[in-house]
Amino acid sequence: MRRVLSCVLLLMLLAGCAEEPETKIFPYPYEVTDIENGLRVVTVETAYPEVVALHIVVNVGSRNEVEPGRTGFAHLFEHMMFRGTEKFPPERWEAIMQDAGAETNAYTSDDRTVYHAVFSKEDLEAILELEADRFQNLKYSEEVFRTETRAVLGEYNKNFANPMRKLDEIVRKTAFTEHTYRHTTMGFVEDVENMPEMYDYGLKFFDRYYRPEYTTVCIVGDVPDDALALVKKYWGDWERGSYQPEIPVEPPQGEAKTVDESFHTPTLPIVSVSYHAPAYDDEANDSAVLDVISYYAFSENSDLYKKLVVEEQKVDAMYPAYYDHRDPYLFSVVARVKEQKDSEYVRDQILATVEQLQNELVPIEPLEDVKSHLRYGFAVGMNSTPAIAGTLAHFINMRGSPETINKRYALYESVTPDDVQRVAKQVLVESERTIATLRHAPEGGAE
Amino acid sequence: MCRLLLVGLILIANALAAPPEMLTLPSESPLVAFRILLRTGAASDPEGKEGVAALTAAMLSMAGTKEKTYDEIVEALFPMASSVSAQVDKEMTVFVGTTHVENLEAYYELLRSMLLEPGWREDDFRRLKDEAKNYLRIQLRSNNEEELAKEYLFLQIFEGHDYGHHSMGTIAALDKLSLDDLKSFYADNYLQGNLVIGLAGCYPERFAERVQTDFAKLPEGATRREPMAQTVSPKKLRIRIIEKDTRGTHIALGFPIPVNRSNGDWPALKLVQSYFGQHRSSKSLLFQKLREIRGMNYGDYAYIEYFPSGMYQFKPDPNLARSQQIFHIWIRPVEPRNGMFALRIALYELNKLVEDGISAEDFEATRRFLGKFVSLLTQTQSEELGYALDSRFYGIPPFRGYVKDAWTGMTVDDVNSVIRKYLRATDLDIVIITKDAAGMRDAIRSGQASTIEYVSPPPKEILDEDKVIGRYPLDVGSIEVVPASRVFED
Repeated sequence: MRRVLSCVLLLMLLAGCAEEPETKIFPYPYEVTDIENGLRVVTVETAYPEVVALHIVVNVGSRNEVEPGRTGFAHLFEHMMFRGTEKFPPERWEAIMQDAGAETNAYTSDDRTVYHAVFSKEDLEAILELEADRFQNLKYSEEVFRTETRAVLGEYNKNFANPMRKLDEIVRKTAFTEHTYRHTTMGFVEDVENMPEMYDYGLKFFDRYYRPEYTTVCIVGDVPDDALALVKKYWGDWERGSYQPEIPVEPPQGEAKTVDESFHTPTLPIVSVSYHAPAYDDEANDSAVLDVISYYAFSENSDLYKKLVVEEQKVDAMYPAYYDHRDPYLFSVVARVKEQKDSEYVRDQILATVEQLQNELVPIEPLEDVKSHLRYGFAVGMNSTPAIAGTLAHFINMRGSPETINKRYALYESVTPDDVQRVAKQVLVESERTIATLRHAPEGGAE
Repeated sequence: MCRLLLVGLILIANALAAPPEMLTLPSESPLVAFRILLRTGAASDPEGKEGVAALTAAMLSMAGTKEKTYDEIVEALFPMASSVSAQVDKEMTVFVGTTHVENLEAYYELLRSMLLEPGWREDDFRRLKDEAKNYLRIQLRSNNEEELAKEYLFLQIFEGHDYGHHSMGTIAALDKLSLDDLKSFYADNYLQGNLVIGLAGCYPERFAERVQTDFAKLPEGATRREPMAQTVSPKKLRIRIIEKDTRGTHIALGFPIPVNRSNGDWPALKLVQSYFGQHRSSKSLLFQKLREIRGMNYGDYAYIEYFPSGMYQFKPDPNLARSQQIFHIWIRPVEPRNGMFALRIALYELNKLVEDGISAEDFEATRRFLGKFVSLLTQTQSEELGYALDSRFYGIPPFRGYVKDAWTGMTVDDVNSVIRKYLRATDLDIVIITKDAAGMRDAIRSGQASTIEYVSPPPKEILDEDKVIGRYPLDVGSIEVVPASRVFED
């Protein structure tokens, strides 16, 4: 049934947040259904007409790459999923997607692989059939596998000049010793180069993870009434698997670490300060408090940003990075410094800000501004069916239901100055800290 | 029934007798979107002041007003999670922002004062000038080789033309720019007659009129410009190789086309481009030949309009409308050992397209795809506004209907005649970024056949075709090696 979501209703929903924390921020009607084989189906009516976004979320990412020499495999496998089946070889798959005028692609992150497509609602059945087939019956030759590994190497190469890629690599490798977050989603370059030899492992990977219990089918937009029945029709025979990876637990870091690396091509010096930090949560509020801290203390509205970027102009970009993860990950602050001589000063300013969070209670008003920013940021971001589906896929990967969005935003509303101080003291501690610097050290020759 | 959809495009240019013109898209969305567009941009940078259009726009969108410092503006915008961003291209400058209708009053007051009452502070100017220079030297030249190849191709094709410098400027000119230069540019270009105000969403009654009245405080008149000369294509292949420490070899190539959206042949050429190299689509011909069959790289596409930041986005941003466009091919990085082969296969496939045209079957499939895909280009109010403003620039009806109607009445013969009329695989510009620039130059000059190395040999018919491609003649007119450190300097 179509729910009317007028401008006025959305206004009421949002306006209510400040006074009634129990009001839900996710304004769209949704249904979550687990079918018999363990596949979860989430449908969300967005009220934007005609268009449907299909996001198939597989709870496998580089986090699952537990075996040595296999880093980057979840991402490689995302590529292999476009290599066809007996019933729908790649050219047939392409032709059907093309006929639907679909915009389609996929991505892999630390925690998930997502296959997404946007198209007119009348094509939903054809596309559900197509997608169900490749998730169950993917089939490719070793030659095709080897060829595709070179496209992945090409993807690594295209990002090679980006210093943030390098920073990500060195911070993870330094801060983590056990957990698979030690490597990026792209993987260690030596593993990427060796991918052509891993055909057999590819078969094993598909058998382990491309199973209904790892997967959620999200249908978002102008959802036809028979959407769930169609999923059951095409995905209902998919066999459940049994594999459970043993993801290593990261032990306490125990002592502060530093890493300094040079970058092969000119860049401004980059300084980052990172701390091991809790996983995504919608019950305990520590991770929500850290989100609030990241905006309060390190966003463009923070005192530190105003000082370093606007007033002193020693830094040309600064941002916090604390991204939701299924397992404990990192809370980071990254600053790009205009001159090398100021790197240590900038680092010390970040550390002094952390110390201040631990020693002084933050005022109420700026905290309320952060909450408002989070609330309106969510509302402003929900501006199309694909945007809503993209946000949903993230939270589905975290907790399996849109309800986690409401719970998480309710947690933001409850954050107090005491929470900020408590979490800063517990999490942003020296023994869990990694400081990384990256700069270009010219050796002459080509830039 | 729920109707968050846009209820239609209403042109209220006549609501007031005088400009500025407005495009409004009232809807029931609680989000209100602004696109405040000026018909001016980097093509209007005076000689020696390259970058003044972009820096002026930055001084409006990322600096203080008469009343408020930049800090105070950020502080006021932050709780609304809204911003004002500027996009400056050759002939358009647009200020874009979206806010929740609950915050509309406060947001609009900031937006209005930012655009109409700039603060022109020295410290903001110093910060934004540094930012512009760092963008050119570090972010673009050093840290983004894919964008560098494409941007440099435009500079090469439009050398000596009004489009002949990057929209952000040159380092030499930026160094010399003063605040007075920006104030002059603002006074000469931020005129009522250059302005179109785009507004969408669930804004209150009479709000649009209020915006229009406020912006009528800008001086009257419009900038008069002489028609731009057409750029001249090189004879044969004009090749520049940027020498840079990189893992891959990057290639962009193209030539100017006398076709933009206002030309009746544009929809047919758009269809050709989609078939040959639809952006980020694995169905297109170039992608199939280079990546899917040969595993050479991550992707390969073709364009008939400027499309910056293609490595980050699937759809082009609106409001990059230009009188003069180019046809171009973007080859994402290949392994250097396959660089020569990549160059040859791009030209070989382009030549084949020109000689053989499109089959009836491919024509039909591409037409079906585009007929639906075009609806996905305007998913948000802001995009819808942007396309409407672009259609106004080009003097065409609303975009979706315009192209769909054109495709409906089209035949494969129409398309193939457009290919013959506008496309070619010679007399064009090529940009290559690679580490061993001298080696690449010598290999091109030698005319020796190129080979490709595979991790898994493809079928015999592909290997046979590789031999033909490897010998594809390169009719080189000029070839020059450019150190990366020189790019964008002057």
